[in-house]
Amino acid sequence: MRRYLLTIALPKGRMFQEAYQVLRGAGLDLPPVENERALLHGKEGGIALLELRNKDVPVYVDLGIAEVGVVGKDILLDSGRDLFEPVDLGFGACRLSLIRRPGDTSPIRRIATKYPLFTSRLLKERGWVADVVELSGNIELAAVTGLADAVVDVVQTGATLRAAGLVEVEVLAHSTARLIVNRQALKLKRSLLKPLIAKLRNRDGSP
Amino acid sequence: MIPEGTRFLLPPEARLKAELIGRLRELFLRHGYEPVELPALESYDPSHPLAQRAFKLVDKTGEVLALRSEFTTLLAKLLRPHLGEGVHRFQYAGPLWLREADAELGRLREYTQVGLELIGATGPLADAEVLHLAFAALEALGLEGVVEVGLPSLVGEVLKASGLPEGAQQEAQRAIHRKNLPELEALLGRYPLPPEARKTLLALPDLYGEREVLEEAKGLPLPERAKRALADLEKTLEVLDRPVLLDLGMARRYEYYSGIFFRAYTPGFGLPLLGGGRYDGALLPQAAGFALGVERALEALRPPQKEEAPEVLALDLKALRRFAGERRVELFHGEDPVGYAQRRGIPFLAQGERLWRVG
Repeated sequence: MRRYLLTIALPKGRMFQEAYQVLRGAGLDLPPVENERALLHGKEGGIALLELRNKDVPVYVDLGIAEVGVVGKDILLDSGRDLFEPVDLGFGACRLSLIRRPGDTSPIRRIATKYPLFTSRLLKERGWVADVVELSGNIELAAVTGLADAVVDVVQTGATLRAAGLVEVEVLAHSTARLIVNRQALKLKRSLLKPLIAKLRNRDGSP
Repeated sequence: MIPEGTRFLLPPEARLKAELIGRLRELFLRHGYEPVELPALESYDPSHPLAQRAFKLVDKTGEVLALRSEFTTLLAKLLRPHLGEGVHRFQYAGPLWLREADAELGRLREYTQVGLELIGATGPLADAEVLHLAFAALEALGLEGVVEVGLPSLVGEVLKASGLPEGAQQEAQRAIHRKNLPELEALLGRYPLPPEARKTLLALPDLYGEREVLEEAKGLPLPERAKRALADLEKTLEVLDRPVLLDLGMARRYEYYSGIFFRAYTPGFGLPLLGGGRYDGALLPQAAGFALGVERALEALRPPQKEEAPEVLALDLKALRRFAGERRVELFHGEDPVGYAQRRGIPFLAQGERLWRVG
């Protein structure tokens, strides 16, 4: 096992780029991302970056493999992990919404989603009795094909929904990228992390 | 063969685990903590703090039983009718079970705790005793530990005095617990609050670090009872006279913990090794204690992968009887004892009364 000054878990894709810019802007000496194929960037003794599926970011941070991570609030709402989330980074805005076929007002009996914990909690709060079907992608198809009466999914512009002929019935939660920190690491590496958090909070254009 | 989240231990881990438990029990005993034993089966009680997460079984009468999920609640219940005046000290050790969904790194469904309870004493000196023993326990295990102390009662008092409705208090507690300043700000923005309460609540998540945190906290407009809790903590740390980390934003179970709450970490290991606190009035009028997770300590120590060789290889039963009282001896079976001893690095051979160094 290699030892790093700090290990940062980031979701691959667009959020990786944005998080990289923001963290570097806050003064972190990030390693260059040269090899596109590498999943771990950085040299021993420096800062390491892990490129992960977004759902895995809270897992790596909770279990202390990475001390810090950046991930969308939507993922945190579904992770059920006990983490610190001290900063709203503002980018990656999207919403978690309830989506149905147009005009469909029948009771919801089956609901498809990539967010099973969040959806189960919603059902419990509302007192709805429905089965939750966990899917991994193209969730809107579940509503189009009748696999489910409704879906809970992430919406950015709504273009995908409109193209599929579905309607956004209700916005359930708003999401932006958050800085998350492992509970032990915040204390043990506070000389590094406390100033980082302060800088990220005071950044220009922060919400 | 064995269910998820359970473990079997082989040498040398099994021996190391028994040794660790022995060292802690001995340490606690030397400080006046007498061992108690509790059954692993309890009657299921829905008001038990871990009721939902405990394993359940059905008794022959049809009643539901629960497998022990922590020691403190049952110990306090059993003791309540029997405790007289004065100070009592108890220690316990044994396996616990939780029906957790996920078993992960250092999180098991069957695990072992060693812990203690100091009953019938309260105040800075009693808190310092318990904290001192937490440090001593880490030292006895040979672990480099950092103890972090919080004051959930302070968060509780500030929330109670804030005038927030109860639902919002809980939401605020959750945001403070996650150090989620943006959401705490948004939440407080929805309610009319006195400016002092707002200022204090927004300061709580960032009150972590070393002694300077106490000074920062004292500068805040705090309700009377919170001020007293803070003064007590300062006195406790003075008596303890060791550096600790502070996190005054630790807001875990503030209705249960009446004073301090603490945890210990070790660098390079992502989960707390021990946890405890003061819970006067929750189960007993005056009580504080902590419990240490033995499997986590084992994992943090990263035990040697090799089995340790004995000191003496006995060539007959007489030698085994003669030397096993004072050294680690193994009886030899097979041919060529000298070659065997050399291969395993056993320094001595013994036959009858005779003991000699392997040439």
